[in-house]
Amino acid sequence: MKRPVFLIIVILLIIVALAVVRVGFENSISTTGIELVNLQSQIKTYKKQNALLKEQYLETSSLTNLSSKAKKLGYVESKSQLYLSIPLPLALKQ
Amino acid sequence: MSWRYRFTLLIFLSLFILVLTRLFYWQVVRASELAVLGKDQYGRQMTLTATRGEIKTSDGFEIAANKLSYLVFTNPKEIKDKKQQAEQMSPLLEMDEASLSALFTLDRFWVPLKRGVENKVKDKIEPLKLPGIGFEDQTVRFYPEASLAAKLLGFVGKDENGEDKGYFGLEGYYDRQLRGKAGLAMVIHDASGRPILSKMSDDFGKIDGRDLILHVDRTIQFMLDSELKKGIEEYGAAGGMAAVMNPKTGGILALSSFPTYDPRHYQEYTDTLYKNPFITDTYEPGSTFKPIIMSSALDAGLVRPDTQCTSCDGPVSIGGYEIQTWNGKYNPNSTMIDVIQHSDNTGMVFVGRLLGLDRMISYFQKFGIGEMTGIDLQGEVVANMRPKEDWYPIDLATASFGQGITITPIELLTAFSAIANDGHRMEPHVVQSIQTPDGQKREISPKVLGSPISSKTAKVMTEMLVNAVDNGEAKWAKPKGYRIAGKTGTAQIPVAGHYDANKTIASFIGFAPADDPKFLMLVVIDRPSTSIYGAETAAPVFFRVAKKILTYYGIPPSE
Repeated sequence: MKRPVFLIIVILLIIVALAVVRVGFENSISTTGIELVNLQSQIKTYKKQNALLKEQYLETSSLTNLSSKAKKLGYVESKSQLYLSIPLPLALKQ
Repeated sequence: MSWRYRFTLLIFLSLFILVLTRLFYWQVVRASELAVLGKDQYGRQMTLTATRGEIKTSDGFEIAANKLSYLVFTNPKEIKDKKQQAEQMSPLLEMDEASLSALFTLDRFWVPLKRGVENKVKDKIEPLKLPGIGFEDQTVRFYPEASLAAKLLGFVGKDENGEDKGYFGLEGYYDRQLRGKAGLAMVIHDASGRPILSKMSDDFGKIDGRDLILHVDRTIQFMLDSELKKGIEEYGAAGGMAAVMNPKTGGILALSSFPTYDPRHYQEYTDTLYKNPFITDTYEPGSTFKPIIMSSALDAGLVRPDTQCTSCDGPVSIGGYEIQTWNGKYNPNSTMIDVIQHSDNTGMVFVGRLLGLDRMISYFQKFGIGEMTGIDLQGEVVANMRPKEDWYPIDLATASFGQGITITPIELLTAFSAIANDGHRMEPHVVQSIQTPDGQKREISPKVLGSPISSKTAKVMTEMLVNAVDNGEAKWAKPKGYRIAGKTGTAQIPVAGHYDANKTIASFIGFAPADDPKFLMLVVIDRPSTSIYGAETAAPVFFRVAKKILTYYGIPPSE
């Protein structure tokens, strides 16, 4: 007679314990959706900043832009080059 | 007892069949429809557009990239003072007030106002906190180098469904690789509209486009573009085109054509400017074609560099036509070296006759004349060779000096690659490798299209071309100290059954350094007005670009 009562109490305790754990767990994750939205919003912001910076970088480093800026600053094209070494001929005259 | 029992059983059975039928109706017949309705109740399905792949030059610079932009939309029902709001937004969106007011009066919940709005404009509108105005993220194609290599790149427009689609050039040819595949995302949310963590799928099925890494060298492209443009203006030409190729791999290092357009604002230009004449237009190549005929005769063992021309002492008469030299001067007993140096038409007729029609057609096939080169750009055309039975003696004679035969510039460049590359003709290619979004690279290997001439013939022909540059009409423009192999061309333009005497297509084709070519280049100037000759128009442009490329590659003069 004692055994079933003990068993029922144990089962009830387990049920209560699991219920408490579940409530606790669900409580802890209940705000995760909001956090997720915040994280996604941050990702979006960083992605946007990255895209805008990349656009600026490409525009600034384009040869078309660099060339026109160089002209404005007074740079001129070098017309002659000085070579420090000239390759030797394949056969030398004795 | 028994009939009551049976009656009850029948009722239960009927009810069971009824339930079963109803279940079949809901779960099989209307299953897909109800599934959609169900999904709509707990989430929403959205199409995720794949990011278009980028096009990068050989230095890794994104010559075609993606730019963030916005679609500005409105819910007219939320706007109270429509007139005032139209006044405020008109200068910002660069739309007239009347159009905006008309859109604000529409009886709809969502009305698009303007696409492709830049971030700086959005930053000006947002602080105004205007009611009923929203922004949707979009990407638009962005070409940071503006019109540089525009005809090589093509542009991105819209297809019949309003989706992005590449047209012309690389954007057109590689559209399927670049565009990727759109995905569907199911965003499941709670009663207040917040997404639920465990039930949210992100980019399901979305595959971003692949990137293209080109053989194109941005610096060479820039030099070619600016020098060609300068040349066209200087020589009062109607247009011009040029391409630089690595003869050992077939990789296109640069390709330019003028007049051109800005792919960022392609709508503002006429359709005729979109095509790339270097691959879509045929022309009579004139004297730049002579090395092809000469190397064929050399390869067939019919002539040697010192073979003397026996019919170069005056005009040659064929089938009622008289063939003269370009300057009216005749050099009896010219060698083949002289024929190329002086660009002697009568000397080439002598070579053409020795070669004969069968061998000439056979070498044309080996050089790929009359065939697609297989370049990876949209719109390549080819002028078919006329059948053998339609060739008359005069056709054989004129083809020997590049008249009466039509080819595309890319065909000539590819054929010439055999002379610059030990007799091996390479397939021209713009794309070097294709990169998947996860970083895997697929290299496109150089392809030999054929070997029309032997290595020995290629070397002999190269020396003849070096001599033509050093002692020919264009020697004044050649950069000192470099061994450059090349040939001028002044082709007459056929107009209504005859050749126009004053309008020509001036060209120059060549490679350098002659002993170990790093590049092969063809410059074509369309109808120059200051001089009709290639030696005075196309050649200087060629040599100016060649000098810059040699300096850029760090190649010192060898002589």
